[in-house]
Amino acid sequence: MLLRLSLFVWISVAMVVALLKAPLVPVLLETTRVLYFHIPCAWIAVVALGWSMLHSILYLVKRDLRHDDHAAAAAGLGLLFCIAATVTGALWAKAMWGAYWNWDPRETSIFFVLLLYTAYLALRSSIQEEEKRARLSAVYSVIAFVAVPFLVFVVPRMYDSLHPDPIINRRGKVDMDPMIVLCFNAMLVGFTGLYFWMQSLRVRVSRLERRAHAA
Amino acid sequence: MPASGSNSAVAVWTILRKECRSEWRTRYGLNAALLFALASLTAVSFAAGRLGDRSDVLAALLWIVLLFATLSSLSHAFVREVEGRTMLLLRLVASPTEIATGKLLFNVLFLAVVEVFAVPLFLVFTGAPPVRWGPFLAVLGLGTIALAASSTLIGAVIAQTRGRGALFAGVSLPVLLPVLAAAVSGTRQMWSAHPVAPSLRLLAAYAVALLAASLLLYDHLWED
Amino acid sequence: MDRNWIVLGVSLLVWGLLFLWLVRVEKRVKELERK
Repeated sequence: MLLRLSLFVWISVAMVVALLKAPLVPVLLETTRVLYFHIPCAWIAVVALGWSMLHSILYLVKRDLRHDDHAAAAAGLGLLFCIAATVTGALWAKAMWGAYWNWDPRETSIFFVLLLYTAYLALRSSIQEEEKRARLSAVYSVIAFVAVPFLVFVVPRMYDSLHPDPIINRRGKVDMDPMIVLCFNAMLVGFTGLYFWMQSLRVRVSRLERRAHAA
Repeated sequence: MPASGSNSAVAVWTILRKECRSEWRTRYGLNAALLFALASLTAVSFAAGRLGDRSDVLAALLWIVLLFATLSSLSHAFVREVEGRTMLLLRLVASPTEIATGKLLFNVLFLAVVEVFAVPLFLVFTGAPPVRWGPFLAVLGLGTIALAASSTLIGAVIAQTRGRGALFAGVSLPVLLPVLAAAVSGTRQMWSAHPVAPSLRLLAAYAVALLAASLLLYDHLWED
Repeated sequence: MDRNWIVLGVSLLVWGLLFLWLVRVEKRVKELERK
């Protein structure tokens, strides 16, 4: 319980300091506030993806259903954080550059990750048998693992060569005030803690469900 | 089943011949695919109009038509086996990898036949600018192999689920996106007299990565 | 400055509610695990 409470305090303090004390980033101005939420969400979406894929591979190797529990739980949570990241990102884009969507490389990457999450979950929902579901979704996870470097690093950057009308939205290299960096990192750590807490809860629930079904 | 080099090749060749023969017997799949390709390229080229000067748009439209062709026809590769319950028989004769390789080669061939029919028609209907055949065939070739590699793999996964066409499309799209992007890019480069090598490299890298993953994964796909 | 307080207030509220909900879920899970 102490751990949970400290997580609560940690994130609350980070939020308070970030919003009240930390200065605004030069280019971003008023929209600075979003980065304390938007980027941690995107970060967690990626962490969850990695966690899910890792456990998918572990499942294929060890055939222990607990790994499948982790993979599925991570995918569900990852989807939530990914949607949050995409939506906050779109709102930020609208405030900054006037359009919700620009196929900016980072927007494109997070959207592709969203597609992967939804495909994975759709696949899972189409299979009833536990073992088959675990195995097939793990296989898909590995396929996705191959596609991810292309989807996140290569393809989004191709948009400019595909569409030669540049929209000036490069996030310039800004000298971040140390207070901003501190709050930002604190939020990253806090979100990570939050994620793993939610992850463990979901896995415990899956285990309980399995126990109930077996009984 | 001892899988020495030549044994494997024979197994793959046998499976390829078997696929060709069973497809040729009814020609249902091929007919449907050709008809669908005709329908989609007609819809696209009619709606878009003569785009002789917009080769960038043409490149995108061409590959969307080919993507549709892939999504509609390649999901069936393994479904036939699962539904006809011939999968067990096949497994007695060949390893999962050999079966998959045979089907992959068949899918490449299948797509090639559809393209021989659809691509010239597309070029004519849209009044496309003259094509640099060397680069164009290279992009088409590698793009087709990459499309087939992705679809065969995903098809093998989907065949064992209850979902079919729509699920296959939704699940394969993220995996097909890099192919689409690279192929469209390459086709544009072909038309705008730029070198297509970067796109070809991308297509090849992706296809190789997927094929390497397939080798590891097919054994996990069919248990029992 | 005003808008800042609103954003802070909403964020803390949302975070507080989420936290309380997660604690409740965990309590329930612990109960069921003990059975």
